[in-house]
Amino acid sequence: MTGIPVGGVVDTVEFTVEAGKIREFARATFTEDPRHAAGELATATHSVVTGHYRDQRGFVARLGLAIERIVVGSVSWEYERPLIAGDRLVATRRVEADTVREGRTGAMRFVTLATSFTDAAGETALVQREVLIERPAS
Amino acid sequence: MTAGTPLVAPDARRIGPVTRTDIVRFAGAGGDFNPLHHDPDAARAAGFDDVIAMGQFQAGLLAGYLTDWVGVENLRRLEVRFRAPVRLGDVLELSATVGEAADGLTAVSLVASVGGVVVVSAEASVEAR
Repeated sequence: MTGIPVGGVVDTVEFTVEAGKIREFARATFTEDPRHAAGELATATHSVVTGHYRDQRGFVARLGLAIERIVVGSVSWEYERPLIAGDRLVATRRVEADTVREGRTGAMRFVTLATSFTDAAGETALVQREVLIERPAS
Repeated sequence: MTAGTPLVAPDARRIGPVTRTDIVRFAGAGGDFNPLHHDPDAARAAGFDDVIAMGQFQAGLLAGYLTDWVGVENLRRLEVRFRAPVRLGDVLELSATVGEAADGLTAVSLVASVGGVVVVSAEASVEAR
C-alpha cells in the first residue's frame, strides 16, 4: 500500500527563518501583528514555507498515493516556542499513521504525516501534522 | 494578558473578496505550486469553475486572526479542519469563541465562513497568563 512504513522518514529539509520571508508570509495571510511586519517573529503557520524545499509530486508518489485523488483533511500544530528570524531548523517528516476505512463510495486511505522542527540547539520548536485523505478511485 | 483576566474574543475579521492575486501571493509565500491553485485549466479538469484557494491559505488567515489577538508566543496548539473549498470572490468572515480554561490554558474555537457556511474550523489552545 505504501512505500514508506509507519515511523519511516518521508523527507528532511533544512532551512533558515528569514526576515523577508516572515514579512511575505504575514502579508499573504493578512496578519497584523507589527512584529511580523518587522521581520522578527514568524507567524503561527510559517512552517508551511517548507513547501519550497519539497518535491510534492515526488513524496506523494513515494507514499503510493494518487495525487489527483488527495485532499488535505486537517492540519495541526503543537508549539514549544515561536520561530524567530535567524532560526536554523531541520524539519523531519515521518509517517505517523496509515489506515484505510471503507466509505460509502469505496476505500478511503488516511495518511497522517508529522513534521518535527528542531532548532540548532537540538530542541523541538514545533510539530506540524497533516492528514492526507485519498478518495476512492471512481 | 494579565493573570486571571479571561480572554474576550475580538470582533470578527472580514477578508475578501478573495482574488487570484491573494492566492498567488500565498503560493509564493508558502511554496505550494499545485496548478489547482493558479491554473484555471487544471482547476476545471478537477471539476471546479476556476482556481480554488489552498487550505493552508485559509489556515493562515485563521491563525493570524487568532495570534493578532492572543500573541503568537502564547499559542500552544492549533488544529484546522477543511470543510469546503474557498473560491475566487468569496468573502470570508473569521470569528472566535472562547471556551473552557484549565491549567493555564484556554480553549478557543475559530471558524471562517462564506455567506454563513463554515469553510474552515479550528480549535486552539492558548496560554493565558
